[in-house]
Amino acid sequence: MTQATPDAIRLDSVSKSFRLDDGNSVTALEGIDLGLREGEFVAVLGPSGCGKSTVLRLIAGLESASTGEVRIEGRAPSQLAAAHRLGVAFQDHALLPWLSVAQNIALPYRVAGTKVDNARVDALIELVGLTGFRDARPSQLSGGMRQRASIARALVLDPDVLLLDEPFGALDAVTRRHMNVELQRIWSTRTLTTLLVTHSVDEAIFLADRIIVMTGRPGRILREVTVPFPRPRDPSVLRTPEFHAMVDELTLALEPEEAAL
Amino acid sequence: MTRLSQFLARNWAVLLLLALWQGWVSLAGLNSIVLPAPWPVLRDVLSHPALYLANAAQTLATAAAGVAIGLALGALVAVAAWASRLLAGMLTPLGLIFSSVPVVALIPILARLLGYDISTVVAIVAVSAFFPTFVFVGAGLKDLPRGADDLFGVLGASRAARLRHLVLPATVPNLMIALRITVPEGVLAAILAEFLMGRSGLGFMFREAASRFAMERALGTSLVVTVAAVLCFSLAHRAERVVRTRWS
Repeated sequence: MTQATPDAIRLDSVSKSFRLDDGNSVTALEGIDLGLREGEFVAVLGPSGCGKSTVLRLIAGLESASTGEVRIEGRAPSQLAAAHRLGVAFQDHALLPWLSVAQNIALPYRVAGTKVDNARVDALIELVGLTGFRDARPSQLSGGMRQRASIARALVLDPDVLLLDEPFGALDAVTRRHMNVELQRIWSTRTLTTLLVTHSVDEAIFLADRIIVMTGRPGRILREVTVPFPRPRDPSVLRTPEFHAMVDELTLALEPEEAAL
Repeated sequence: MTRLSQFLARNWAVLLLLALWQGWVSLAGLNSIVLPAPWPVLRDVLSHPALYLANAAQTLATAAAGVAIGLALGALVAVAAWASRLLAGMLTPLGLIFSSVPVVALIPILARLLGYDISTVVAIVAVSAFFPTFVFVGAGLKDLPRGADDLFGVLGASRAARLRHLVLPATVPNLMIALRITVPEGVLAAILAEFLMGRSGLGFMFREAASRFAMERALGTSLVVTVAAVLCFSLAHRAERVVRTRWS
């Protein structure tokens, strides 16, 4: 893959194997080549256990590649984290239970040792639709609200790279669709290089510019699809025949054994 | 009426105990040197409030000082063990061994080392509070909310920031468990130390009264000790509950 501008995030023939307790090792990823242009929204789509979360953890610097290289803006991922330029929303929101919503969103400032910008915290609370809940604690919120708070926390330091690890995986279908519409709206306000890991085909097509379809054991890239729908995307896109055709196509790609039936 | 039945429902065991006590003394015709009846004991407490209060205040202050020192040191050493693997390897087995040694066994050793005065009583209480705190806070430092470790990784947190914003706050509920356990234990350790080697306080007052067969005074002291210990326990228990709700 050659581009005019260098990729913001690059994975070059990356593989990752984990050593198990019994001494054997298991290959989670093999031969992953992946590039994200600056400001691009890429979704990694695959069945559970295909290693898609490992791709995200490699980019986040939480794991290191067994072979190959992961580079963000030409540097190691851990350097981006150390410079507090990385925003991540995890599947289990990871909000600290003893802090209020506003304090949780302000946490990256405190960890970075910089002054808390209260105006920005309040603006983000409004952006993710949590106005009126700034002093509530996570246990008092619904699952969807916790994920909104977690996304606001990922955005608060205005990061260069946003990583979303199945942020809506634990939500019911209706809330999930609603959150997708919200995320699409939030993302439209400021375009930033984003990697979304998901197993939901709808979610990937609705949110991403490009979709990487992965297959499991060992995790490899099966194919790449560019999403043709223009931005900003209205929820009505979800009801067009083109959208449904694409959902069917990718669903089949994920489950090739079903195509034979 | 409902209030009375509520009172009875809550305190029937205590009332039954008092009734049995009175019944035993009356039926067996016991001499007051062997066992006085409940009322003379209560009368002795009520007619010498200053004496009982002064000694109770001293015992509680000693226990509070000891528990405070023990909690602070226990938490500090647990954090030191968290920060350094070398220290953890040295301190953890030591903590586990010493936390299973009964306080009674430590009192003569500490008294011999530190002398027979009030600071030794404080030290004994501190030792009794130190080990549970070390064990509980140490466990709390490792018991982090789900995903928090990854979160602090991607936030680029330094070890100091991790300690301050994640590990220390996360251990507060365990510190409160340590408080709930060490407060009543601390009161008992203080009384025990006063009883064995003290010159004042409730423990000494009991020993002194019992040695001259002033059984109303001795049992009055026991009564005050019981009330004080129960009060301390329920206060610490309540504090732990409040913090736990705030923290989850």
